[in-house]
Amino acid sequence: MIPLLILCPLILLAALGAVWKARPVHAALLLALALSLIAVLYLALGGGFIGLVQFMVYVGGIAILIVFSLLITRPGDEGEEVARRPKSVALGAACVVPVLGALLYTFGKGLPEPAEGAAPSVPLEKLGDQLFTTGLPAVLAVAVLLTAVLIGAAMFARDFGKNSEPPADS
Amino acid sequence: MKKPVLTLMLSLGMSALVMAGETGPLVTAESLPRLPQRLVEMLLAAVGGPEWLVQLGGMAAAAGTVVGVFLGAFALLSLIERKVLARVQNRLGPNRAGWFGILQPVADGIKMLTKEDIVPAKAEALLHFLAPVLIVVPAVLALGVIPYGREWVPVNLDLGLVLFFAVGAMTEVAIFMAGWSSGSKFPMLGAMRAISQMVSYELPLMLAALAVVMMAGTVSLSGIVDDQGGFVLGFIPKWNILTPWGLVAGLVFLIAGVAESNRTPFDLPEGESEIVAGHMTEYSGFKYALFFMGEYLGLFAISGLGITLFLGGWQAPLPGLGFVPTWIWFFGKLAAVIFFFLWIRATYPRVRIDQLMRFAWLFLIPVGLLTLPVAAVWHYTGRGLLGWVLCGAMLVVPYAILTVLYNRRMAPATRRYQFVE
Amino acid sequence: MNPLAVLLTLSALLFALGLLGVLTRRNAILILVGIELMLNAANLNFIAFWRYGPPEAALTGPTMVLFSIAIAAAEAAVGLAIILMVFRHTKSTDLNKLDSLRG
Repeated sequence: MIPLLILCPLILLAALGAVWKARPVHAALLLALALSLIAVLYLALGGGFIGLVQFMVYVGGIAILIVFSLLITRPGDEGEEVARRPKSVALGAACVVPVLGALLYTFGKGLPEPAEGAAPSVPLEKLGDQLFTTGLPAVLAVAVLLTAVLIGAAMFARDFGKNSEPPADS
Repeated sequence: MKKPVLTLMLSLGMSALVMAGETGPLVTAESLPRLPQRLVEMLLAAVGGPEWLVQLGGMAAAAGTVVGVFLGAFALLSLIERKVLARVQNRLGPNRAGWFGILQPVADGIKMLTKEDIVPAKAEALLHFLAPVLIVVPAVLALGVIPYGREWVPVNLDLGLVLFFAVGAMTEVAIFMAGWSSGSKFPMLGAMRAISQMVSYELPLMLAALAVVMMAGTVSLSGIVDDQGGFVLGFIPKWNILTPWGLVAGLVFLIAGVAESNRTPFDLPEGESEIVAGHMTEYSGFKYALFFMGEYLGLFAISGLGITLFLGGWQAPLPGLGFVPTWIWFFGKLAAVIFFFLWIRATYPRVRIDQLMRFAWLFLIPVGLLTLPVAAVWHYTGRGLLGWVLCGAMLVVPYAILTVLYNRRMAPATRRYQFVE
Repeated sequence: MNPLAVLLTLSALLFALGLLGVLTRRNAILILVGIELMLNAANLNFIAFWRYGPPEAALTGPTMVLFSIAIAAAEAAVGLAIILMVFRHTKSTDLNKLDSLRG
């Protein structure tokens, strides 16, 4: 309970920075911070493997990808000027507040008594068993999806490189 | 002032005697590296510390042992590397500070510490400060999960291997922060090179490790070492490198590991003839030393992981050598692997960035993927002669095809460089 | 205090923040940042209910999160690839400028 109460405000602050900061790279780095704090939260809740995977994929993969594309597209220092567009922010907030209210209302309505006691663990063997028995179709679907993404990314990279390649000397 | 110290020493000695009487000798050759931990635990227990304090102190001492050992190794390596490179290149190397230059690391350290700490005017001060710290932390964390001996596992985690790769993700973020926060061109270029290289070479690294996980049936590093115990025919150790899939996975791991630790021939991120020092260009003094340290600790960590996964960890290479403490085997192997890295560095020229990426994506990753089915075949054909024949065929044929394709498409051609847009 | 309630509130707030980011940002990549936050809010719910929910739901939460993370990785890769392709043609990642289909 205590790590939870420490982590939650930190996560929210980092997330707020990620959506509010004007400089894109700052926003991306704060996203990485928020995601790694969520990974720590998972670890604190006893989901060892899930927390590590969250860190590996989100921080090592997705945050890095986002940062890297920011560098390639060079948004420069003109920034995002979120704070300077009160109209769009007001509009956004007008959409967000009902959603937030609905979420909080639903969550608060039929809340079960939490099962107290020691954190349940994630035994890797059991997780693997479940993945390759009841979860097999889903695993296959994800495998196909990831393969398609890999091939697509490779084709994309080839196209991307083709146009910027210097003419060969001959 | 003297009296409390005396009492403390006395009580410590007493408790040591008591413990020796209860549980055998205080320290054997095997558990020598755990002596600091036990001493601290005993000391805290002797002064009446609560249970959690004793445990915490013991853990801190265990961590301190690892960090101390590897900082010493880092200092030593910085000298040995220069000596070995000098020998290969027919020079003398550092030989002024102390006998055979043995005090050179000390001199280097003093030089680094007394240099001015410069933060460029255009730098983002906070990120610029955090980057060198964040680069050392994952290396130390990764060193903490490796089993160095039968009784010397600083943190024995069930998820050791996963943790090793997870903390590796932090390095990339740190390198990006270093490159971007410096507010200058060369660090930016170096960081982009470093990140693309690390992302690309992390995949073959993980695939190679995955084959081992598949065969050992565990991601606990101690479990993987235990799995490699014993001997075939009474004298050939059961190390993973001595199986067909393990040989290939081990070579993939070796190459990817060299790239992952940014060493020649894959040291493009800091290619000094191209982009000054990459992401470290704008750093000086102690922060530069931290980068240097993070790099070498990372090298130790990745070599240690390679030894654990493929070279049998702390297992002895021949039967009948059980009287030698197991951690000596580990550090012997580590020295051999590190020497191999130095040898590579002295031998090969730096590759080009497009060669680097193509090699990872078109060669290493397919070969890494191949090791998984080969490992399965090895397992189901009884891990014997039949396995060698089948697995050999499964490996050699795709290898030949890949090589032909790779050579035909990627043969060296004359290239003219111009800046892109 | 009920830890489940704390976690659910956190997840709701995270989702709202992500949505706010998606609605107010102009840079396509930063919109992706908002989407990642929303995805994580959903994952957090799975973990929260697995940890504090009824015991018969053993391991369903982590399994779902594992799939969700894998799909999020694919989503980010595809999304960024699309954004980079758009950037090649228009030299901009500002979504307000991508109005060539406007009648």
